[in-house]
Amino acid sequence: MVDVASLSTGAQALRRDAAGPSGPKPRHALSRRNIFLYGTLIVVALYYLLPLYVMIVTSLKGMPEIRLGNIFSPPVEITFEPWVKAWATACTGLNCDGLSRGFWNSVRITVPSVILSIAIASVNGYALANWRFKGADTFFIILIVGAFIPYQVMIYPIVIILREIGIYGSLTGLVIVHSIFGMPILTLLFRNYFTSMPEELFRAARVDGAGFWGIYLRIMLPMSLPIFVVAIILQVTGIWNDFLFGVVYTRPDTYPMTVQLNNIVNSVQGVKEYNVNMAATILTGLVPLIVYFISGKLFVRGIAAGAVKG
Amino acid sequence: MEADIANPSVSIQDLSLNFGAVSVLQTLNLDVAEGEFIVLLGPSGCGKSTLLNCIAGLLDISDGRIFIKGKNVTWEEPKDRGIGMVFQSYALYPQMTVERNLSFGLRVAGVPKEEIAKRIARAAEILQIEPLLQRKPSALSGGQRQRVAIGRALVRDVDVFLFDEPLSNLDAKLRSELRVEIKLLHRRLQNTMIYVTHDQIEAMTLADRIAVMRGGVIQQLDAPQTIYNRPVNRFVAGFLGSPAMNFLKGELEAGAVPVFKADGVSVPLGRYQFDGDGGRAAKPCIFGIRPEHIAFGDAAGAMPFTAESTVEIVDPMGSDTLVWTKLGGQIISFRVEADKTLRNGDAIRIGFDPARASLFDAQTDNRL
Repeated sequence: MVDVASLSTGAQALRRDAAGPSGPKPRHALSRRNIFLYGTLIVVALYYLLPLYVMIVTSLKGMPEIRLGNIFSPPVEITFEPWVKAWATACTGLNCDGLSRGFWNSVRITVPSVILSIAIASVNGYALANWRFKGADTFFIILIVGAFIPYQVMIYPIVIILREIGIYGSLTGLVIVHSIFGMPILTLLFRNYFTSMPEELFRAARVDGAGFWGIYLRIMLPMSLPIFVVAIILQVTGIWNDFLFGVVYTRPDTYPMTVQLNNIVNSVQGVKEYNVNMAATILTGLVPLIVYFISGKLFVRGIAAGAVKG
Repeated sequence: MEADIANPSVSIQDLSLNFGAVSVLQTLNLDVAEGEFIVLLGPSGCGKSTLLNCIAGLLDISDGRIFIKGKNVTWEEPKDRGIGMVFQSYALYPQMTVERNLSFGLRVAGVPKEEIAKRIARAAEILQIEPLLQRKPSALSGGQRQRVAIGRALVRDVDVFLFDEPLSNLDAKLRSELRVEIKLLHRRLQNTMIYVTHDQIEAMTLADRIAVMRGGVIQQLDAPQTIYNRPVNRFVAGFLGSPAMNFLKGELEAGAVPVFKADGVSVPLGRYQFDGDGGRAAKPCIFGIRPEHIAFGDAAGAMPFTAESTVEIVDPMGSDTLVWTKLGGQIISFRVEADKTLRNGDAIRIGFDPARASLFDAQTDNRL
């Protein structure tokens, strides 16, 4: 038997010994771990931010200042002339109305493509995840394999198809192309998300009498804000930044912004206006950048809301 | 097996379900009387939840027919079957308030607003969830969520309630509270209820009849006491009862008074009630006796069968104590009151009434 009395006096003796470690372990701000961690982060951040810095600085300089060659020095005389020129008057081919034309073309391409592709893919994913119809697996595999076929293989056949339908060169044609090419990855995204939702929820809704669309619209949609935000980020940036399809399936007056940017930057006539080129590039990249900033916040909020289990 | 039920509330006829080559349910038959509380009991993967989903219409069956209230619902959608279902994970719609959760099915069906309000008020009153109606499910405790889930079945005003392990996600204390509530609910509503669980205490306390399932086959369908006292086979005997029934391997010797013999022990079975002519032929068999049916000390002397043994291990469990000892060279356990102080190695005397035992054929595992 253990002597309980002597045990408790021993514990008191231990407590009196105040010299030993007690309470939270102290942390040092300049520990080797912290230096390594923050050092790496700072180096990587600089590596990524430096080109952006050079672009912004250059776009705010006049041509004489650029010719001095100090690309890292801040502008002595800040001018917004290059930005205005890039947006409104830079020439691409015969048109001299800057990037504005391409911007509106890109908007007219991106908005319908994003809506169409996400609308179809989310229903696809929902059907594949929850309504295990006959051949669902085969259908899914075919769709996924589609994602691995190189674009180059399909470019010319699609040109022929669009031409035969009579929408080659129009924005409608490009919207359809973008929607189709977004389908495999988006369907996969939505299918996996809906699969991860508790199946009993779906069953409960069926017992409650909701049908295919009822369950989709009233149960699944309100629960899937995070995945919709992810899909929107993916599609907006993907379609906005697309160059290949834009250059192949549109005509000069319907070129998207990226193609126009290329034509401005790569024009061989006259002087290279680096400041205009930089401004044009930043303008083109602004939309994905804004999407990241806005939806990034929403995205985090969506994830946090989903984390509180219903 | 059972007397036919004249007007079954739920009738399952020759139901089969295959997933590819795997047969989950095999030509299963089950009649549930009006207002009866049936518990489907079995280990994981025995097909009890699958059967419930078939009744609900959430799984397409491979063969057979299902009748609810005399109507053939085999090909009907879940909503048209007159059933309400309660799920293990509650399955409440997270973005809706409790009130909208309750009313969802009614809104889908286009029930008038006043009628919806009336039914919700009634369900909320029965389940005492009136203060919670405007909350979201995430702001509810587990027990409250399950009450809401029951309420969702309640407002649909259905004939048959289906429960799919509704208490498995709750802690032990809440579980016993809600168990009592479900029992009271059944008494008040008098609906037919089919309840799936793997918890034998839930089964014993709630059921009018228990269907013990294994491998997609109902092993025994009977009142809880009958299943407890006269299990039809060794699986049912071992599955019900905690601590589990003791099994002794041995031989059955036929005679005017059949005797069970195992390594130095012979138990006369004069008082044992054989099924049919089970006692006639000598054969290897298994003798089953529940720990709570073994008497100890002075009480053992009054029993028709007694034996001397020594204590191997003592397991105090609070309300009582489980003692492990040896009989016929095989380990058995029995229960004694908690205040009995026994030490390992103590010589003891145990006894039991063979009439309370169960004898199983060693080959078929069926009751003799």
